[in-house]
Amino acid sequence: MSIIYVLIPIAILFVAIGIWIFFWAVRSKQFEDLEKEGFSILFDEDNKAKADEQKKPDDR
Amino acid sequence: MSAVKCFHCHEPVLTGDRFTLQLDNQQQPFCCAGCQAVAETIFSNGLQDYYKFRTESAAKVAAMPEQLLAELASFDNAEVLADISRQHDNLTEIELSISGMSCAACAWLIEKQLKQQPAIASAAINASTQRALLRFDSNLLPLSQILKTIAALGYQASPFVADQEEQVFKNELNRYLKRLAVSGILTMQVMMLAFALYFGEYTGIEASHEGYLRWISMLLTIPVVLYAAKPFVLSAWRSTKARQMNMDVPVTLALYYTFFASSYATIFHTGEVYFESVCMFTFLLQLGKFFEFRARAQAREATSNLLKIMPVTATQITEHGPEPTSARRLQAGDIILVKAGETLAADGTVLEGNSSVDESMLTGEYRPISKTTGDAVLAGSINHDGLLKVQVTSVLAHSRLGQIIQLQQQTLSQKPRLVEKTDQLAKYFVERLLVIAVLTFLLWYFWWNPDRAFWVTLSVLVATCPCALSLATPTAITCALARLNRQGVLIKNAQALETLPDISHIVLDKTGTLTEGKFSISRLSSFTTQFSEAEILNLIANLERYSEHPIARAFAPHFSQQLELTAVEVTIGAGIMGYWQGQLLRVGSAAFCQVATKTDAMVYISLNGEALAAVHLEDKLRAEVPALISQLQQQGYQLGMLTGDSSAQAEQLSSELNLNFMVKGCSPEQKVAEIQQLIAKGAKVLMLGDGINDSPSFNAAHISVAVHSGTDLSKNQADVVLLQPDLRLVQKLLVGGATTAKIIKQNLGWSVGYNLVIIPLAVAGFVSPYIAVIGMSFSSLLVVSNSLRLLKK
Repeated sequence: MSIIYVLIPIAILFVAIGIWIFFWAVRSKQFEDLEKEGFSILFDEDNKAKADEQKKPDDR
Repeated sequence: MSAVKCFHCHEPVLTGDRFTLQLDNQQQPFCCAGCQAVAETIFSNGLQDYYKFRTESAAKVAAMPEQLLAELASFDNAEVLADISRQHDNLTEIELSISGMSCAACAWLIEKQLKQQPAIASAAINASTQRALLRFDSNLLPLSQILKTIAALGYQASPFVADQEEQVFKNELNRYLKRLAVSGILTMQVMMLAFALYFGEYTGIEASHEGYLRWISMLLTIPVVLYAAKPFVLSAWRSTKARQMNMDVPVTLALYYTFFASSYATIFHTGEVYFESVCMFTFLLQLGKFFEFRARAQAREATSNLLKIMPVTATQITEHGPEPTSARRLQAGDIILVKAGETLAADGTVLEGNSSVDESMLTGEYRPISKTTGDAVLAGSINHDGLLKVQVTSVLAHSRLGQIIQLQQQTLSQKPRLVEKTDQLAKYFVERLLVIAVLTFLLWYFWWNPDRAFWVTLSVLVATCPCALSLATPTAITCALARLNRQGVLIKNAQALETLPDISHIVLDKTGTLTEGKFSISRLSSFTTQFSEAEILNLIANLERYSEHPIARAFAPHFSQQLELTAVEVTIGAGIMGYWQGQLLRVGSAAFCQVATKTDAMVYISLNGEALAAVHLEDKLRAEVPALISQLQQQGYQLGMLTGDSSAQAEQLSSELNLNFMVKGCSPEQKVAEIQQLIAKGAKVLMLGDGINDSPSFNAAHISVAVHSGTDLSKNQADVVLLQPDLRLVQKLLVGGATTAKIIKQNLGWSVGYNLVIIPLAVAGFVSPYIAVIGMSFSSLLVVSNSLRLLKK
C-alpha cells in the first residue's frame, strides 16, 4: 500500500491544476453568459459551404 | 383570416402575399416590410443558420422611421461619444443595451454580423443580460453605422453606461464562483480520504497510513478554511466588532474549532478528525449564498437600464444652425429643437411651436398635454407630434427628472427595515451557546475529568453547530426565489420575502398599474346606418395610421383592411384628414370634424362634413383587477390608491373598487409623505407602481413592487418586479411569502428543538463527537429537504 505515498500527491497535483484552470476560466469571463456559448457549436463557422448542405426540416 | 405565419416573427400574415421573398428556393411569406427587410439582410449575409437554430420566434420588426435613423447620427458627435464610451489606445469601447433579443441565436446573429465589419475589433454579446460590449475604431466606422447595422437585423441598440455598483456585483459573483470551486473540489477529495479512514476504523488500518491520510486531509482543508470560508470570518468579525452577533459567528467558531481540534488530533495522533465536516459545511453554506446572490445579481442586471430614460442627446440651435450635442452639456438659456417622437433633454419653456407631450412617466397623467408657446416642459417627457423650440431653464441634473431621481436616493437611506428574525434568534442563541461551551470546558477541566474536557467541548460545539439553524432561512428563501421566478415574479431583495407576511397595507398607483396606461375604445355612438361599427373603426384606423399620437394607437387593433387614402394631412392638436374614394374624411376633435358637439366623446369622424360617429376613449382597468382587489380585501389587507391623476376618474375608480382610502393629484413627494404617515401609524406597507413618479415612494414602503410595463427606473428601484403583464402575480407573491415564512418557522423549530435536546446530553459527555456529526448532518439534511418542498408546489 505504500504506493499511496506517490499516487495521492499526484492526485493533489491534478486537483490543483483543475482549480487553476477553473480560476482562469472565471477570469476570462467564460461564466458570464452560459446561454449563448451552448449554441455556438450549432452554427457553421463558414457559411460559404452552405449551398450544398442538405437543408434540415424545420423542427417546429 | 389566413393561418399563414410570417417567416421571421411567426405572427399571422394579414396582408396576403404582399411581402414575400425567395429564400433557399422557397417562397416565404412575411407580415410586413420590416420583417421582410430583416430576413433579406440575414440571408444576404449568409446568416440563415439563425432561422434553423433559434428557439424563440423573433420580435415583429417595426421599420425604423427615417427620422430616427437620422437621429442616430447625433451619437457620432465627439462630445456625445466621449460621454458614453471609453478610449482604449485607438479603439473606442462602448456598451450597448439591445432590445428585441429573444434567444441565444439572436446574440449569435448580431455578433456574426458585427464581426464582418473590419473596423470592429471585438464584439461580445451577452444573451442573458441583452448587452453588447464593442471595441471599434471610431475613425473608420461611426457609431451610428453600427447602430444601423443592428437595426437592420431588427433589434434596437442604444448606448448604455453600466453603473459602478453593477461592476462590484460582477466581481463579487466571480469571487463566489472561485470559492465554490475551491470548497467543492476539495470537499470531494477530503470526503474520499474520509471514507478510507471510516473503513480503516472497522477493518483496521496501519497507524502510518492513517496518519498519512489525516495529514493529507488537513493539507487539503487549509485552503477551504482560509480561502473559501473567508466571507464568514469577515462577516463574523464585523458583527462582533459592532456587538451585533449574527449567524456567521457560531458558523466561524464551529468551523475553526473543529478544524483546529482535528489538526491537533492529526499532529499528536490522538482523538478523531472531522476535516470532511469542515469542508462540507463550508461548501453547503457557500452554495446557498451563491444561489441567493446570483438571483439578486440577475435581477439587477435585468432591470438596471437607467440610462434609457435619461436623455443622451439633444439638438441645440447655435449660430451655425441646429447641431447635435450631449444632453448633459446643455446650459440654462440654450435653445434646443425637439422633433416629434423625441424625448425632451432638459426642463424649459416653449419658444415656438405647438405639440402634445406625454408626461405620464413623471406625473402619472396619462393624457397627452398640449403645449404651446410659453408653456413649461419637463425633461424626460416625450414629444408626440409637433416640432418644438425650447429654451432650457435648468440643466439636466437640476431638472424635475433629476430631482425625482435625487429624492429617490434620499429616501433609499430611510428605507424602513424589519429586524431580521433569524439574526435576532442567532444573537440570542450564539451568546448562550458560547456561555454553555465555556462552562462545559471549565466544569470538565476543573472538576470532572481534565483529559476529556477538550473533546467534550468539541462535541458540544459540533452537536450544537448551528449548521441547521444557519441553513434554515437561506435555503428556504433560495427555493422560494426560484419558485416565484418560475411563476413570473422576480424578487430582487431577498429580505422582502421575509417581510411579506407582516404586510398590512397595500398602496396602489392608478395609471399604468391598475389601468392599462393607454387609451382604448370604451364606446362608439354611430350617427349613421350607412356603415357598420367595424367599418367605421376600420376607416378611423386607416387614417390614424398616419399619426404617432397615443390616441391613434387605440385604433390600431381595429385595423382590418387596407384602404386607399390620398392627400392625408395631420393637423397637430386637432385631427387628421384625407380623401377616400374622392370623399373628404376627417377624424379628430368635434371642431375639426365640423360636428355640432352632442356628446363628450374624444374622437369624431365625419365624411364630407357629415358626422358618422363619436368614439369614447378611456384608460381601461386591467381585466384582472376587480377580482384581485376583492380577494385581497377578503384576506384582510387595507387597500389604498395614491395617484398623480387629479381627474374624476380617480374617485370613480376608487368607489368602484371599494378601496379603503384614496388620495388624488399626488406629486412624488406627497406619495412619499402619505406612505411615511401610514408607517408612522404602525402599518407595514407594500407599494405597487409603475412610473418614475412612484420610484421615490418605493423606497419609503417596506416592500415595493414594479409592474411588468413599468419604467426601467421603477423596476431598477423596486424590491420585486412582475415579469408578466398580470397583476394576479401579486397574489402569488403574497402566498409565496406566507408559505416561505411557514417553512422557515418549521426549519427553525426543528433545529432549535434538536439543539435543546442535544445540548444537555453533550454537556454531560454522553455524545461522542462521532454521534454529534451524524446528528448535525441529519438535521441539516432535514432542513434542506424541507426547504426543497417549496420548489415542488
